[in-house]
Amino acid sequence: MTSTELTDTLAEVRGGSSEAWGVLYREYAGAIFRFCRRVLPTKEDAEDATTEIFMKVRNRLDQFDSSRPFTAWLYTVASNHCWDMLRRRRVRQDLETPDVETMPLEHPDPNQLEQLLEQSTNEQVRAGLAKLPARARMALVLRYFSDMSYNDIADALGVRRAFVGVLLLRARHELREILGEAKPKGGRAGTGSRATGAVAGEAL
Amino acid sequence: MNVFDTHFDEMACLLYLDEQLEPAQAGELRRHAATCTKCGALLHALEGEGRTLRNALTEADEPMPAHLLRRPAPASSWPWIALLGFAAAGAYTVWNTVFEPIQAQFAQAGFNQDNVLTMLMFSGAFWKGWDTMRGIAESLALVTLGILCLTLFRRRGRRSGGVAAMAGAIVLMALMMPSGAAAAEVRHGDPNYVVPAGEVVHNDLIVVGEYVTIDGDVDGDLIAVTQELIVNGHVKGDVLVAARQVRITGTVEGNLRSWTESVQLDGAVAKNVTAWSAHVVLGPKSVVLGSFIGSAGAIELDGAIAKEITTFSGFARLNGIASSNSSIHAGQVTIGPHEQARGTMRVESRHPPILDPAAKLSSPLQFTLEKRGPDYTSAVYYWHQVLKWGASFIFGLAILLLMPEFFAETMRATSRFYITAGGVGFLVLIATPVVAVIMGITIVGLGVAIALALLYAVSIYAAQIFVGTWVGVKLLGAASSTGALAGRLALGLALLRIAKQVPYAGELVASVAMLWGMGAIGLSIYRRTRSTLAVA
Repeated sequence: MTSTELTDTLAEVRGGSSEAWGVLYREYAGAIFRFCRRVLPTKEDAEDATTEIFMKVRNRLDQFDSSRPFTAWLYTVASNHCWDMLRRRRVRQDLETPDVETMPLEHPDPNQLEQLLEQSTNEQVRAGLAKLPARARMALVLRYFSDMSYNDIADALGVRRAFVGVLLLRARHELREILGEAKPKGGRAGTGSRATGAVAGEAL
Repeated sequence: MNVFDTHFDEMACLLYLDEQLEPAQAGELRRHAATCTKCGALLHALEGEGRTLRNALTEADEPMPAHLLRRPAPASSWPWIALLGFAAAGAYTVWNTVFEPIQAQFAQAGFNQDNVLTMLMFSGAFWKGWDTMRGIAESLALVTLGILCLTLFRRRGRRSGGVAAMAGAIVLMALMMPSGAAAAEVRHGDPNYVVPAGEVVHNDLIVVGEYVTIDGDVDGDLIAVTQELIVNGHVKGDVLVAARQVRITGTVEGNLRSWTESVQLDGAVAKNVTAWSAHVVLGPKSVVLGSFIGSAGAIELDGAIAKEITTFSGFARLNGIASSNSSIHAGQVTIGPHEQARGTMRVESRHPPILDPAAKLSSPLQFTLEKRGPDYTSAVYYWHQVLKWGASFIFGLAILLLMPEFFAETMRATSRFYITAGGVGFLVLIATPVVAVIMGITIVGLGVAIALALLYAVSIYAAQIFVGTWVGVKLLGAASSTGALAGRLALGLALLRIAKQVPYAGELVASVAMLWGMGAIGLSIYRRTRSTLAVA
């Protein structure tokens, strides 16, 4: 769907057109379902969440600022919804990592990292993602599935923008750990010089 | 560049790749990486990692479920208008047929308030002094109940939610506490409390003990929570009692309200008697100058009652003096030889009453045979079903629109954990009244007990909403808009109502739906409460 078509469709939906709503739904339902599937623990959760997210979208379409990309807004609604679902299930204890901003981050060996990635299939990566704590998983999905900006990720997760980079890097480290443990030989991609996450704050 | 060596650290590299660095810093890193093998390799590895993540996440590995691919149903306005019309008419009918008659009966018994909430919370059953504060107190109670509901179902503000819940409960408790409590005599801790003959208690008396005997006088109201209460003396105010056994041989100048296993009146009550008991006996010497309302397993009225008599019981025996109209609803009714009915007597029973020929009735007995099950031949019956369906639909719609998160969470519990929900429903059904009673008899917990009882009643009614929606979703597939979900709610409720009308099987359907729905509501509330507590 081109941006002009999208604009027209949104205007028709706002005008109450069910046909236009059907078009919009068919265009984005698949992506939102996959997003939910990546973030939520079960397929049934993802199905429910997809339905509920589109209900919210329809009810809140008037709040959409048309100067922003529609997909970004859509993913923000979706991520907020999924985040709320996860939070209600008391997954918060794995969401708060004290002192993470000053926690030393291992400097990876690029060769080992590349080797690890070469040996990992998409399926293994997805399986590894599923084992991550909710916030780490959510951060990676928002960034690498939804292409959301750091600002939008910060809004969706309720953290400071300066913390998003730390969150993403931390999530990558945890994923490497999981993928490394899944390999027959050790080969963990995490040695070498050390640096501090506090640099993230300085960099921003 | 980090402070430990001359290379850029991983964080800086990631921020560079995500275009989050300031232009100057980005330029510096780019120039450095062009000449530094280590940093160049790290950038390359991180970029590859990002690519891998993107590929793994965006790969379409799983087809979208077919039911999600369905085009959302178009919504037109006229069915909504019709539905809302029916629903409004249903709500009005429910009010007219359920609440107003109850209110009228209570008014007849001396609960002269303006509405049901007032009747339930602030009538003479608790304290007559509340009448002067009714308007303020009622408003506060409504606000408090609103806060409690919002706190349970709110999505955000969890930290303040717990505080609000506590504050709400405290306010409600405070509302339910009698204002004159400070002026009352409170007795507890003595297992055998006795007011001896000749002694006068010049205040209201609140007493908690195993056995309570009043041989003397109480100038005010008597409130007793006990195993056994015996009043041989004189109480100038009301007697409010929750006990196993009550026997009154003395005089009560106010009303007698009892929640007991058995109550026996052999004395006089100057106002009204209201009894919820397994067994109620008004002995031959008893006199009630007001009305009598009894709900019991068995009721025996051998004394004299000056005003209206209303009973709901398994068995009823009338063998005394009824000076006004009587309305008897019972499984079996016996009218004895000493009965003198000076008003009309209406009997509704599953069996014809046994009428002693010596009984004196001023007018012919009006008997209605209570039919088992509904009258399927009556058009009114079907019209009432439609109206009741409308009322349940508008209630469900209100939950859906006002508390969408709660609705969705409860639907998840309904569809996923139906066995657990059934078990929880059974537990909630049994345990909640017990908990409410335990709270209630401690006086201090009365407000919370009433709030819990109200929530319990609402849950029983709301159970059908979620089970009905589940049925609708099963038949039409998942809804992709609020309107479509409301349609499924309407369809499911209609089918559920039809199923409930089937003889015998309908009762089973209704029971299963109630347990299942209540359990789902319980699970949903538990999860929300647990989440709130976890965060707080």
